[in-house]
Amino acid sequence: MSKPEYVEIVEKVFDKTKQKKTEEFKYIGKSIIKWDAIDKITGKAWFTADLKKLFQNAVFVYSVRTKYAHAWIMKIDVTDAAKYPGVLKVITANDIPGINDVGYVIPDQPLLAYKKVRYIGDTVALIVAESMENAREAAELVSVEYEPLEVILDPLKIVEWGGLREKEHTLIHEERGSDVVSRYKIRTGDVKKAFEEAAVVVENEYRTPMQEHAYLEPEAALAIPQPDGGVTIYAKTQCPFDTRKAVAQVLGLPFNKVRVIVPPLGGGFGGAEDVGNEIAAKAALAALLTKRPAFLVHTREESIIGHSKRHPMIARYKHAATRDGRLLAVEAEIILDTGAYASLGPFVGWRAIVHSTGPYKVPNAKIDLAVVYTNKVYAGAFRGFGNPQVTFAVERQMDLLAEELGMDPVELRLKNILRNGDRTVHGQLLDHGVGLEEALLKAVEAINWYERRKLYSQQKGTIRRGIGIALMYHGNSIGAEGADFSSATIIIQRDGSIVFRTGLTDMGQGAIQGLVNIIAETLGVPPSYIRVEWPDTASTPDAGPTVASRSTVMGGNATLVAAYKLRQRLNKLAAELLGCDPDNIVINAPDVYCKNDPRLKITWQELVEQSFWKGVPLQEFGYFRAPPAEWDEETGQGAPYMHYTFGAIISDVEVDLETGVVRVREAVTAYDIGRVINRVGAEHHAVGGYIQGMGYALMEDLYYAPDGRVYNTNLSTYHIPTGLDIPEKIKSIWVEAGFRRGPYGAKGLGEPSIVAIAPSIANAVAHALGSKEANKDINRIPLTPDYVYSVIKKHGLLKK
Amino acid sequence: MIMMEEKVVKVHLKVNGKEYELEVPPNERLLDTLRYRLGLTSVKEGCGRGECGTCIVLVNGMPRHSCLTLTATLDGSEVTTLEGLAPEGKIHAIQLAFLETKGVQCGFCTPGFILMAKALLDKNPDPNMEEVKEWLSSTLCRCGSYHYYFAAVKLAAKYIKEGKIYFDEEEVRKKYYMKVVGR
Repeated sequence: MSKPEYVEIVEKVFDKTKQKKTEEFKYIGKSIIKWDAIDKITGKAWFTADLKKLFQNAVFVYSVRTKYAHAWIMKIDVTDAAKYPGVLKVITANDIPGINDVGYVIPDQPLLAYKKVRYIGDTVALIVAESMENAREAAELVSVEYEPLEVILDPLKIVEWGGLREKEHTLIHEERGSDVVSRYKIRTGDVKKAFEEAAVVVENEYRTPMQEHAYLEPEAALAIPQPDGGVTIYAKTQCPFDTRKAVAQVLGLPFNKVRVIVPPLGGGFGGAEDVGNEIAAKAALAALLTKRPAFLVHTREESIIGHSKRHPMIARYKHAATRDGRLLAVEAEIILDTGAYASLGPFVGWRAIVHSTGPYKVPNAKIDLAVVYTNKVYAGAFRGFGNPQVTFAVERQMDLLAEELGMDPVELRLKNILRNGDRTVHGQLLDHGVGLEEALLKAVEAINWYERRKLYSQQKGTIRRGIGIALMYHGNSIGAEGADFSSATIIIQRDGSIVFRTGLTDMGQGAIQGLVNIIAETLGVPPSYIRVEWPDTASTPDAGPTVASRSTVMGGNATLVAAYKLRQRLNKLAAELLGCDPDNIVINAPDVYCKNDPRLKITWQELVEQSFWKGVPLQEFGYFRAPPAEWDEETGQGAPYMHYTFGAIISDVEVDLETGVVRVREAVTAYDIGRVINRVGAEHHAVGGYIQGMGYALMEDLYYAPDGRVYNTNLSTYHIPTGLDIPEKIKSIWVEAGFRRGPYGAKGLGEPSIVAIAPSIANAVAHALGSKEANKDINRIPLTPDYVYSVIKKHGLLKK
Repeated sequence: MIMMEEKVVKVHLKVNGKEYELEVPPNERLLDTLRYRLGLTSVKEGCGRGECGTCIVLVNGMPRHSCLTLTATLDGSEVTTLEGLAPEGKIHAIQLAFLETKGVQCGFCTPGFILMAKALLDKNPDPNMEEVKEWLSSTLCRCGSYHYYFAAVKLAAKYIKEGKIYFDEEEVRKKYYMKVVGR
């Protein structure tokens, strides 16, 4: 089978530029002021809720949520609420014209609960009223008769160790007949034999928390009914085309009558996937049923109880190694708690199992993973998507192993990491672009690892420093999760300015700027010629979801393909006009000239104008599809992702033995991202991902009352890092090992930037405590002061 | 559930230099007055509880959480939002510094940070790094741009000390819109 043209273009551009140093590019890898930065420092940028001011006659939509986390609904009576002043309509499941479901991967999640509620954020009715006050007050008058059921918050009540068999329990999803959403496994080599022959075995249990995205912009949607019975929705969502599908399904409308437009997002981090669909569908329902623009905005409390979280994990890991530190085998059982609904849980579980042995050569592995329901807030996508959880366990295991072997953690890792030519645990050959060793060595050098490690090992006193390392790899894009494609449109206008359209969203980290840089470099025009349009299902092409660190790679490839084709046409025309070879045309807008004779020139505007008259089309659609992933369900063998981003993180911390307080003093991150495309964005990810990962490591968790209510529903009780919590310095190092099927060799960084932060901090904390016994107890995050202090006390570390 | 009678309070406010005679319910938050009555949408609501700082505005020069402030209590006050930090067509040195230090990510927290910085620099034109951090610690940024923002405040202090307070917005756009500013 011949290669598709788009693959050829991407590979050709890579081959042509792979020897080029990043400094030699004009726009690739440069620090460029982001496309939306000026609008944001002036306060002019419109976020979704800001658009409300343009629709003075909008009605307000408010979700009436359940009072029980798990109960049968016997009766819903909205008579009193409907009569309340200002109320236009009370919507229940019966009013839904289409299908009452917004489940992302499997249809398990009603938009409006009618038979059963499964978590404290379930919506039983929507109030549509003239004011938000009216709506909230009327919500109190909705009377629901419940028959409460047992609330299950512990995933170990669903499955048990030793095979993860499902136990007898009150079913949360009785309609499915099981509360295990999905199972995955890896089977390779002979694990039993490896453990028998191993010189060293370490085993431990690990727990990670339910992290909240806490993007500062709460969810909002504004729906405007259209004359043809359709609806246009402005919504905070990462994936406009997925949102359109969900809304169309709820409303029973064809896709082309539902238009989703995405204003700038005030943060997303994966959290604006499912809930984007939910709020858009709620607002759209209200708009169509009242024939008025309908506005929905969440309070912080609604946001926290009503949108997906990071899956908590409980895992048991067992590692075997030879005396000289070669990994022989990994055996593990992993439970991911997806809360009340599957959301993206099945995919999160899959990504978790793919990464469950870390970026190492592991000849023998037996891993089992189950994604299970509980009555917690549902868990879905969150930067890292299952990988931070397993990487925490794996990287703690590596440090336990190093201690057991009496080896330096860096040395142990160097013995086992993946390099060019190695095979992953899935049997996938990594034949190029593995920059892990370089990342590791550069990070070690930047922070003086060996010196500090030695120095900190000899400390006395109550304030102890510690230094820890963690490595990671992260499959880019969605792999075997689904059809993996992206697309983009570039339209050169007649005055030479350029319109860029893609259905990918910029969550704030600057993904779209990376695409702009690719257009600029490929066409030879300054980025300031380019205007970025908001994602809009009616005008921007479906670019697939904005998830899985795929914007730069997949969106970048599609953009590159479009820009490359345009460039070819422009080169050809310029060559005709100037009388030199097309390959000889230099475009450095506004100048266009022949390389061998720069006196032969034309301006960019003239070239564009000539294209118009000579019938050379100046709009181009770019498409790219990743090679299909391979995955054997029975063995976990195959090629799950087309490639991986690699990274090494080192954290230097201080632990106060008298209080258990951990502070990160300094950190270094080194990532192999193939090629730096968008330098500002890359640094934002490295630094911002570190800080978010530090929150995950030290302070963030959602706490539940036994009845399933969430205790910490606002930022006063759900703590995220402030400016006073962050390390003085976070150094970012870039390794550019290249990737043949990435735009100019680039790989993704969005999710990788959080994956190994928590274990690097936990490993540093364990080092600071300097106790072999305590080391095993640094097995859960967040490492809150009370927990760390309990470990210090348990092992009598303060007296030493 | 008690139905409140539609009581209103007359409030005289000067917002971004413009005088307003408003009639607001006694329980109306300054946040809602600014966003929904006056259309000043740089004022954001992140938590509604004075935790995140996205709704910060200056009331008589001092930072206030507009989500915790009732408009009815502000008769005769002067309120500044990000829209009014510089005269029409200009941008303030602090805004420029935030742009030049390249810290803006999603931008939802940026207005609050800039106004906090303004209040700090009005009080203390030459703060040291510790003072900057302390002062800005009440404002949250989930994208993690704190380091950049601290550097921005230091840079802004420098501009202001040099007497450079306002910059022409068009010129700033010309100079910076998607321009290469570093290697």
